[in-house]
Amino acid sequence: MRTGAAIVLDTLESLGVETVFGYPGGAIMPLYDALYDHRIAHVLVRHEAAAVFAASGFARSTGRPGVCIATSGPGATNLITGIVDAMMDNVPLVALTGQVRTTVMGTDAFQEVDVAAITHQVTKRNIVVRSIDEIEVALRAAFALATSSRPGPVLVDLPTDVLRAVETTARISEPPVLRERPRADAGALDAAVAALQQAQRPVLIVGGGTRWSGATEVFRSLAARIGAPVAATLHGLGCSDPDDPAFLGMLGMHGWKRANRAVAQADVLFALGMRFDDRVTGDPATFAANAHTIVHADIDAAEFDKVKHAHVKLHGDLRETLVALDRRLARVTLPSFDAWREAACAPHERLPRDDARDGHLSATDFLDALFDALPEDAIVTTDVGQHQMWAAQRVRASHPQHFLTSGGLGSMGFGLPAAIGAQIAHPGRTVVAIVGDGGFQMSMAELATLRRYALPVKIVLIDNRNLGMVRQWQELFYNARYSATALPDNPEFTTIARAFGIEARLVDHAEAIGPSLARLLRTPRPVLLHCACYPHENVWPIIPAGKGVDDLMETVPA
Amino acid sequence: MRTVTAYDGRVLARIIHLAHRFGCTYTSVAAKHTGAVYRMELAFAGPGDALRRLDAQITKLLDDDRETME
Repeated sequence: MRTGAAIVLDTLESLGVETVFGYPGGAIMPLYDALYDHRIAHVLVRHEAAAVFAASGFARSTGRPGVCIATSGPGATNLITGIVDAMMDNVPLVALTGQVRTTVMGTDAFQEVDVAAITHQVTKRNIVVRSIDEIEVALRAAFALATSSRPGPVLVDLPTDVLRAVETTARISEPPVLRERPRADAGALDAAVAALQQAQRPVLIVGGGTRWSGATEVFRSLAARIGAPVAATLHGLGCSDPDDPAFLGMLGMHGWKRANRAVAQADVLFALGMRFDDRVTGDPATFAANAHTIVHADIDAAEFDKVKHAHVKLHGDLRETLVALDRRLARVTLPSFDAWREAACAPHERLPRDDARDGHLSATDFLDALFDALPEDAIVTTDVGQHQMWAAQRVRASHPQHFLTSGGLGSMGFGLPAAIGAQIAHPGRTVVAIVGDGGFQMSMAELATLRRYALPVKIVLIDNRNLGMVRQWQELFYNARYSATALPDNPEFTTIARAFGIEARLVDHAEAIGPSLARLLRTPRPVLLHCACYPHENVWPIIPAGKGVDDLMETVPA
Repeated sequence: MRTVTAYDGRVLARIIHLAHRFGCTYTSVAAKHTGAVYRMELAFAGPGDALRRLDAQITKLLDDDRETME
């Protein structure tokens, strides 16, 4: 007869879980005892926040649920940011938390926290398991719910006495029954086709829903059939072939001017698996103001008309919706959008940039060279800030699972642990974590995790000795009053990396970019490349928050 | 007034938090546990757009609540 902890692990294994990310502690000890000789591999991180981000990186790079484990109290609360991050970015995630004994719950016991109450608003569901008989049903429901419809996080809280209990009879629970997914209405599909037939300047916006519904190939086929220009949200990057001449690049606050301009000029807009985030729309009233028809496709009906009114609503799984749309389009004749597409795509447009001064290394020069050098199937993670936007502008992801970034929540400290999760999931692939000096200092204890598991993650540290994005906004919008953004006292990062047993090198001038990149990419071990960059380089273009494309800035106003 | 049913009684708390997040208030809330579900009667006041978005989110919450339970 098994313990509750053994049932947890056996159930996880039966659900296809091979690796979990976690950090032990008192209430979760029975589960760690069971892990001691179980087939499921456990990756020990150095902070629970890294466990949830690593699980997120695993999930984002595979499409399968990531699993993280923490103990009760502070262990559980340290997961919260990553759980919210997964909720915002629709990441299928199952968080397992230890809990104090059921007999003392509610007595303010040591390391007791009502994590179910805390996470209720930021999970698809959370389940407090109160008896050994509930474990398997709870876990199966958690996995089903995390991956169903619009994916997201589910938390399962496991009291220590439930984990230690011994089953009296072996049970086999039935797989949970999921409700039928909604399908886009036939009339709405016909209306979408009709809108395209009458369009003169259509634009497709592809978002993260394409990634989670596995619709990348279908989307590419559909886009090729339509022949309209395509813009991507941050999470839609990789859905289009980066070499497709119809691809405009990322749109939004730091998107390509041509992408924002095309959306502004569009008469028909197809918004596919995207949610009109404020970093995309700026001012919703002026966003796509010339579009007489907006077609919005999404699995989540609550997204319709939330920010931007859609004239045609395609409610359903995006992949099924696109397949249905493609079938209809195959039976009709569309006008040619060649002239519009060629005008919109402006192939000679270049991203505006600041020149690095005083012999400093330019971060954008370095990232241009990095993306030119990466193999096609490389997985890139980022932290949050300027380097994230520079990377998003330049990344040449051939699949959305190749570019992992914290979009909705914008969680600093995401990049390195997410890379750990991605490298665990894809041991043979090149995984690069592009991080800033601010975010790296929130997660650099995970160098120890790289070392322990010999994960050959390549860390590219874009160090401008500033919290760069906040500094940029202070320069542009707060009269250059640089409050708490300078980091002149950054540590010696190469020394820190070496102290963890990680190879590290410094690059601080343009001539060293090529050789340092070549060495970075051929190193089969974890390695850190410290890029000491010009501190005042800004991300251009920028559309100020709440503004429209007409307010786009390409340099600091004189 | 909107009448809804939920398997997880805590959904009511979540709805109330959402209402406040959207700048709405509840004018009347009644809940009763009957059998396997909670039956709730809810009435909210607030700006029209916020009420519309709240209504959509309540529907989504209840959809997730029903998933795997029916």
